Amino acid sequence: MTAVIEARDLTKTYGAVRALDGLSLTIPKGGVYGVLGPNGAGKSTLFRILLGLIKPSSGTAAVMGGAVGIPGSMRRMGSMIETPRYPPYMTARQVLTWLSLAHGLSTDTRRTEQWLERVGLTEAADRRVRGFSVGMLQRLGVAIALITEPELVVLDEPTSGMDPPGIQEMRALIRSLADKEGITIVLASHQLLEVQRVCDRVAIMNKGKLVREGAVSELTAAGERLRLNLSPLAPALDVVGSRGVLEGDAIMATIKRAEGPALIRALVEKGVDITEARWVGADLESVFMTETGSIQTPEAIHAS
Amino acid sequence: MLADAIRSEAYRFSKNRSAVLWSTMFVPLLLLILSGAAQYFLKARTAELKDANLPPELLEMGPLDLGQAMLGQAADLANPVLLLFILIGAATLFAGDYRWETWRLVSARNIRPNLILGKVAVVKLLCFVALAILLVSGFVGELLTGAIFERSFTITFDAGDAATFSLLCLTAYIRVLQVTLIGLLAATVTRSLLAALFIPLAVSIGQFFLLQAMPLMSWGPGDWYAQALMPGLATDTLMSAIQGEPGSASAQTLWMAALSLSAWCLVPLLASIAWFQRQDLSKE
Repeated sequence: MTAVIEARDLTKTYGAVRALDGLSLTIPKGGVYGVLGPNGAGKSTLFRILLGLIKPSSGTAAVMGGAVGIPGSMRRMGSMIETPRYPPYMTARQVLTWLSLAHGLSTDTRRTEQWLERVGLTEAADRRVRGFSVGMLQRLGVAIALITEPELVVLDEPTSGMDPPGIQEMRALIRSLADKEGITIVLASHQLLEVQRVCDRVAIMNKGKLVREGAVSELTAAGERLRLNLSPLAPALDVVGSRGVLEGDAIMATIKRAEGPALIRALVEKGVDITEARWVGADLESVFMTETGSIQTPEAIHAS
Repeated sequence: MLADAIRSEAYRFSKNRSAVLWSTMFVPLLLLILSGAAQYFLKARTAELKDANLPPELLEMGPLDLGQAMLGQAADLANPVLLLFILIGAATLFAGDYRWETWRLVSARNIRPNLILGKVAVVKLLCFVALAILLVSGFVGELLTGAIFERSFTITFDAGDAATFSLLCLTAYIRVLQVTLIGLLAATVTRSLLAALFIPLAVSIGQFFLLQAMPLMSWGPGDWYAQALMPGLATDTLMSAIQGEPGSASAQTLWMAALSLSAWCLVPLLASIAWFQRQDLSKE
């Protein structure tokens, strides 16, 4: 497996805060790779280190086989970190020309036109960016990340601020870049459904550490769960025990199908009223919630 | 590559029309208009004097020597008003990437010294263009003066004058560039556009007051510390010597002045590069 990004024992501290805590991660070449994590998980710090914007406190990182910060390897990578900003007096077309020059490209108007069209900014090409919406700034950022025809593209929240049709277009563009043009895309997003739809593999980070990594299909195939809407909760949680977790008002029980009737009988015998019981497939959101500790276990409910 | 940094900076700056206008065109145009208006006023006053029946030889003006007038223009090239407006353009260039958070867009594909040197190269071009326009507008102003007063023109400009003119322009150019490089250091350290504009101004004003206070401290222009602390004094010392003014400084003082001006250029530049090398560019 050829790796496009390799991070080894990366640590980054800001005073007493450890933004990255010994993170090791290998991102393979090809496909779309998602980096997930709650706010403060260290995703942006990781991306900033990979782009050479900041130096890690310890550990090493390599991009396209070369150390981070070496122009030779960085030239093979495009990026968009957070909502990008541009000189407000420039038009979208001028921004693309400016950055083409900065990246050592010719001012080929065909390439500029092509990328303006692919991100849906042709009509706004000659408008100054000071009047752009967040979604339009994101689109321009994606065009900038791609105009150098990189082998690896790092996108931080590429659909942030976009309307639903825009999100759909961006998803299609990302998939097409990976599938038809062989570009490896690494993206961070909070929109887990989008990630599930567009990514081949994901890494889940929490508190600066990697907590889970794998193919989306593997992670979501961890098994069905029985969703139970019921009341009262306390006796139900006693019955379900460690097999269940509380998500909102429902208990999600990780059990085999054959164990379902017995569990329901046990709940009824305890005097629990069940208003809904249905099997649901595991999705990335539930994996994420479990891995990042964003859900409450029965023990935690009892304790509180 | 450095060439990429220069081309992209030059392109971006060319799109910032207000900064280009203020830093290169405004002062020459303003001075040209003010000079024209002043000449018209003088012309009107002269007509009144003619009515006073003064002896005609008092009012007669000889031919206007454009060559010597241009030498005079070159000696006054590094004027503080032009410096202030060049600083606007230089500050925009040096602090623009902090102001608009665009370092992250350009920094991944080039080495950091190139990014700084690219900006410096464009500021050098900006200074050159601004000084050239000021010289041209000064020349036009002389033509205008001659036309208003109906004077004939002559040009006295030999090889020696050409050398003097070139050296005066070069010294003025280095002085202007030196002030902008203080702006570079201020921009890099503070990440602020306003600091890039006002810190060089504050330093220049401080040095001006120091210059005025020299007699109080028993300092003379020949003292090495005076030359070292005041690049403005160093510039004046060099300009006087180039023009061959009587009482020009000794060779030792001239070397000290040249060294001071060079150091005031190189130290802020190298300090900016060193600072920028280890700067966290994610905190723009």
